[in-house]
Amino acid sequence: MDNVLEIRNLVKDYPGVRAVNDVSFDIKRNTVHCLVGENGAGKSTLIKILTGAVARTGGKILLNGQEYCAGNPKDAKNKGISTLFQELNVVDQLTVEENLTLGMEDTTFGFLKKTDKIKKIVSVLNSLEPSIHPKQLVSALSVAKKQIVEIAKAVATESDIIIMDEPTAAISESEIKRLFDIIRSLREKNVTVIYISHRLDEIFELGDTVTVMRDGRHIETKPVSQVKERTELIRMMIGKTVFEIYQPKEKRSEEKILEVRHLTNHKLKDISFEANKGEIIGFYGLVGAGKTELARAIYGVDEYKGEILFKGKKLHPSPDKAIAAGIALVPEERRSQGLFTILTIRGNVPVMNMKKISKNGFINSAKERKATLEYIDKLRIATSGTEKEVSKLSGGNQQKVVFSKCLFADADLLILDEPTRGIDVGAKSEIYGIIRALSEEGKSILIFSSELPEIVNICDQIYLLYDGSIKANLQNGCDINTEMIIHIVTGGE
Amino acid sequence: MKIRTAKGKMSNESFITLFMAIVLLVIFMIASLLVPNFFKLQTMVNLVTNFWFVIILGIGVTFLLITGNFDMSVGGVIAMTGVLAVYFCQAANASKSELANGLGFPYGAALVLALLGALAIGGVNAFFIAKLKVASIIITLGTMSVARGIGQVITQGAQRNTSLPDVFGVVGNAAVPGTSIKISVLIMVLLVVIAVIVEKKTVFGRRTYLIGANMQAARLSGVKVTRHLTYLYLTSALLAGITGILLASEYKAGVSNRATGYEFDALVITLLGGTNINGGFGSVLGTVVGALILSVVTSAATGLLLSPDWQFLIKGIVTFLAILAQRFALDRRKA
Repeated sequence: MDNVLEIRNLVKDYPGVRAVNDVSFDIKRNTVHCLVGENGAGKSTLIKILTGAVARTGGKILLNGQEYCAGNPKDAKNKGISTLFQELNVVDQLTVEENLTLGMEDTTFGFLKKTDKIKKIVSVLNSLEPSIHPKQLVSALSVAKKQIVEIAKAVATESDIIIMDEPTAAISESEIKRLFDIIRSLREKNVTVIYISHRLDEIFELGDTVTVMRDGRHIETKPVSQVKERTELIRMMIGKTVFEIYQPKEKRSEEKILEVRHLTNHKLKDISFEANKGEIIGFYGLVGAGKTELARAIYGVDEYKGEILFKGKKLHPSPDKAIAAGIALVPEERRSQGLFTILTIRGNVPVMNMKKISKNGFINSAKERKATLEYIDKLRIATSGTEKEVSKLSGGNQQKVVFSKCLFADADLLILDEPTRGIDVGAKSEIYGIIRALSEEGKSILIFSSELPEIVNICDQIYLLYDGSIKANLQNGCDINTEMIIHIVTGGE
Repeated sequence: MKIRTAKGKMSNESFITLFMAIVLLVIFMIASLLVPNFFKLQTMVNLVTNFWFVIILGIGVTFLLITGNFDMSVGGVIAMTGVLAVYFCQAANASKSELANGLGFPYGAALVLALLGALAIGGVNAFFIAKLKVASIIITLGTMSVARGIGQVITQGAQRNTSLPDVFGVVGNAAVPGTSIKISVLIMVLLVVIAVIVEKKTVFGRRTYLIGANMQAARLSGVKVTRHLTYLYLTSALLAGITGILLASEYKAGVSNRATGYEFDALVITLLGGTNINGGFGSVLGTVVGALILSVVTSAATGLLLSPDWQFLIKGIVTFLAILAQRFALDRRKA
């Protein structure tokens, strides 16, 4: 068996971070090659290089023995690497057949022509999934069937490699089974699959070979048959990460501030927990576990069944009511949900508590300036002044502006959704410092994160989420077992 | 390090307003050179006062555009409110002609009811746009036709101008005592002053910008977006309604095709004034400057060519150039 893809000494640098660090491994032709690693391990960056979404800093990639370099996803496709993204690339308003031939129609004087090419593509689809009718509208198909349409397109255009990024994240059990059958059948169609998933069981069920990445480095590539059990994979994924030693609090308040009872919605399944005054509670889970959905439900953005009591009173589901009651949210996406990037720092900091800088609806600009300066100083936001547009700040400083907004709201409960995503190490540790200080002041904090060190370093209590429900509740301490945590959040018992 | 605060630095909105004021001055000088009798005090006064109705509309349209929403219904609302006010006020059973017979309500009641009609259109806009989140351009183009349609049905496609009490024609024609300035212009100036204060100094004004800058973040920051947009659509309709009544009084007639195209003029002056079509940026003072630019160009075109046929073309070209200049200036400043 020869290699379809050879990666040699691949490097990708982002400002301040080496996302892919001297990675080399081979992918054998007509196999299912799995790629695993924690968030931030470098998988996504590697895939982005292969699909032409980003340019590599150094190293070599050989496709079928020839130097490979793609300028953009379309270029990658022409050269033989197709990708099944999580955001599917189909047009809902067109039929299956029109989708399959999109971008490669034959025309005469601009009019579409029915050719053998279409017949060929349709026959590929038919061999993969006979139940999909070519004249059907794509909008009527399930997510799984849309994926199959994309796979058929990739197979028909004679791709050597199809990259699948978490294809099972949004589909049901029975559909997963069908998808796996199709993926297995691709080997006979002369297609190699690079399969990325957080669900380790799938790797044992489907994979021929597995590559583990960690902190941008290649750790191991070996046949799945030689991996004895999932703990071996987990050990390779988390390595010997040394966690800062968690400092348990000397005295804990027994004053209950938040009670969540039987929270259920489109994503969440019967979630109940409590938070005490001054407590830091971490929710850890992988992508799609329901972290953001839980944060949004508590804050009242999304609808839910069940009950949330805050300071003993029932909370009405609406962000403005949550803020009035004393809850503030640092949302997952700071640019699209947290900040007004075209406005200045002064325009951002006071927005969650305008009462503090106004009287009878009129803004007191002196108070406003003073408050903004106070937070620039307190959180050490690096800026030339209060009038700087937030879009011109670095990621870490932008996140500090989001924190300023929430602190200015004088909340007693802070909900932090991925509070350190996409910011550099220095800003990260500053933000951890802020979180600890807030807890000392008696504020309760819920942290939703997909980074385990973050959770283990600062949280008093840890809840593990998988598929919308709480799978375990751990008291943090020196005996915390990270292997067991990974085992649970990847779907183990 | 010295931290700079708002003191001493001009905001981007003020910068654009100033820039457009300079553009206005340049256009005015060119017009003065080319058009005979243009550089006169009376001409200048006319330039400011002739456009009072578009400026009143521009206030509501500017606030809405800052939130990222359109209001194309204002022209229709003017026509409808004017017709309704006349219809309610006309004497009942006064003559054989159907168009001369109204409902015979007292003057005050007629005005209040007509304004309620305007608010109803604003309410429909708010319901679909703020509550059901339908695109504002679609809804307000719809209500534009509905409002004008109501006016046309009531006037049978023409106008109502008989059997009106004398009091009906007072407010639209009266001047501020001791001057030749009309009450309508005074109302416009008052409304502009109030609007500028609301925009610059109040929490309500600030929230208007927040919604336009990032609606999702605004909601997550506790802004009641639906309620806020509802207030704005009601205000815009009310301003159009007041304008409709003033115009009906001025001509002592309810005309169904009154104010045709004013919604576009209101939008154009708002854009000329620097308000961003995607929201989050803009000012009422800018809109006033935009109105003056449009006024100078329209008057100069008339004076220069004597033929109103050229007005649209000249208006279009100047609007285009002015907006290009403005975007260029703002990009240079931001870079």
